[in-house]
Amino acid sequence: MKLAEWIGTLRENLKTLKIVMIVYLAVLVLFDVLLSRDDAHFLIDKIYAYWAIFGTIGCFVLIKFSKGIAHMFLSKDEDYYD
Amino acid sequence: MTSWLHPALFFFLGSLLLPFFQGKARKIILLLIPVLAIIAVAAAEQGIYGQYRFLGIDGVFGRVDKLSLIFAWVFTIMAFLGALYALHREESGHHIAGFLYVGSSLGAIFAGDYFTLFIFWEIMAFSSVFLIWYRRTKKSLDAGFRYLLFHVFGGLLFFTGMMLTYFKTGSMAFESIAPANAGLAEYLILWGFALNAAVLPLHAWLPDAYPEATVEGAVFLCAFTTKTAVYVLARGFAGFEVLAIMGTAMTVFGVCYAVIENDIRRVLAYHIVSQVGYMVAGIGIGTHLALNGAAAHAFAHILYKALLFMGAGAVLYMTGTAKLTQLGGLYKTMPLTMIFYIVGAVSIAGFPLFSGFVSKSMIVASAHQEGRLWLMNLLNLAGIGTFLSVGLKVTYFAFFGKGEPVTAKEPPKNMLWAMGITSLMCLVIGVYPDVLSVLLPFASDYRPYNLHHLSEALQLLSFTGLVFFLLLPKLSPEEKINLDVDYLYRKAVWYFLRFDEKVIAVFDNLWGELYRTLGLRALFKSADLSYGFDRKAIDGVVDGSAVATVDLGSTVRRMQTGRIQTYIALSMIIVFVVVMLFAVL
Repeated sequence: MKLAEWIGTLRENLKTLKIVMIVYLAVLVLFDVLLSRDDAHFLIDKIYAYWAIFGTIGCFVLIKFSKGIAHMFLSKDEDYYD
Repeated sequence: MTSWLHPALFFFLGSLLLPFFQGKARKIILLLIPVLAIIAVAAAEQGIYGQYRFLGIDGVFGRVDKLSLIFAWVFTIMAFLGALYALHREESGHHIAGFLYVGSSLGAIFAGDYFTLFIFWEIMAFSSVFLIWYRRTKKSLDAGFRYLLFHVFGGLLFFTGMMLTYFKTGSMAFESIAPANAGLAEYLILWGFALNAAVLPLHAWLPDAYPEATVEGAVFLCAFTTKTAVYVLARGFAGFEVLAIMGTAMTVFGVCYAVIENDIRRVLAYHIVSQVGYMVAGIGIGTHLALNGAAAHAFAHILYKALLFMGAGAVLYMTGTAKLTQLGGLYKTMPLTMIFYIVGAVSIAGFPLFSGFVSKSMIVASAHQEGRLWLMNLLNLAGIGTFLSVGLKVTYFAFFGKGEPVTAKEPPKNMLWAMGITSLMCLVIGVYPDVLSVLLPFASDYRPYNLHHLSEALQLLSFTGLVFFLLLPKLSPEEKINLDVDYLYRKAVWYFLRFDEKVIAVFDNLWGELYRTLGLRALFKSADLSYGFDRKAIDGVVDGSAVATVDLGSTVRRMQTGRIQTYIALSMIIVFVVVMLFAVL
């Protein structure tokens, strides 16, 4: 199937893919900066790229918090209840 | 009054027909029944149908309005997709359980009074458990029993609230309740409903039971129980602050567990908690936009969550495992399944052009509109977690990953078709939101496709992707399970039993001895006394009361038989009397 080949090609060119992605993220931030803020009601509506910052920090915290709590006491062996 | 055909009727009749047919004929029935039900929903006109009087209660089988219709639409569509996905399954019992489950869910959403609702509510619990038991493993058997116990408990909360309401108002009508008027009875009903919606902390039955269900059963389960609960909450409890808070808590709680779980279907089960949290939060916020959002999100969610469970089920069906640690490289062998799964994943994550973008944003926007920025931020945080775990983690570790590709091939054709059609629907709702907005309970001018919202969604999702790839090593799945509230009744109960053996049993024996020597003697004495009093004083006067006293004597004697059922019956009567007294006063 073609799809598997395409994915294979992408995997071989990870470096290019990375550059494309970074450019894409930069464009997103730029796009948000250019958006009008005339009808902003709240502070978070006025901050530039608020959701990009929120997404980065939020995702980081979420992973650290969940994995941390799992390793602290939530995680048990699979036969724990048996 | 125009006539109306209850869509549930088709499913109940269908479940009666199924045992008599085999092979092709059964497959036709399996697909035909949901189609007929869809037609019945399409033909339904708004109004009140099927009023009846039973035990002095005014019941309504069919309250047809916009809110019940949007759920009926998605339930019947889902029944078709689920039946198509399960078409290859041999046991007719599994199909019968599925049909009874769908039929009773439809019965519940059209019910206009508590009594009718309660009947269908219980049929739902008892039919759906078979979709778990048909997996035929020890684990699923145990999980099924826990599931059943939990739902019986929820049913009891609902029943108690319902009876209290009845004694207070003399009516069983199921109408919208104003938060200011809610007392004990209303809150009991609320929590009975909330248990089915997997609201914290009554959620543990869901991630406990659904991952143990059959491959096909899980597709049914993920659609109906929680969404019926969302419907009844939206109908009765719109604007309850507790729901806004708990709903938001659910969204974040669910994704935290989804990040650390290993089994794909457990990840997805925690995402039901999370996604239903959005709906519950919408109901709690209670504005027209929020309620529209809850209904729309239920509609979209049923489709994409079923699609995800279908994809995960296909992986489990073909490879024999749904554990991320044992999967990898499936893009080579199951590319179609992967595409369909990814459609479900981007839909749940809320990518533009997919259904989640349209429906989730209504709830988030309503929180924003009401100035509830904490809720809005937390809902968006859960959105990050959704994409992170369902979209990136599962897709990466199951379909790509570093490990050797697992040997597998695409699932049977009917499964692929079911996934394909569901994918198409997710896309259609995302591209033409109007197909959904005509069904919404309130008139709405909300437009999901505006630049601010596009920017918000793309930033959130893309930067989540960035962090995912930066922290990829941290996220690798582990061959573990994670404790949840079910610990309390799965493990802590054993500690209690041991405590019981060591401490309570000793005390109990002592008490029993005391009772035997003192209590019984006193009882016999008093019986003798009353008998003597009866013979000498009253017998001559009133014959009837003598008979009554003899009856009492035999009742007392019966109390001493030591039979367990007698004690249970007795305690139930006492509880009943207490409830009655409480209600009358």
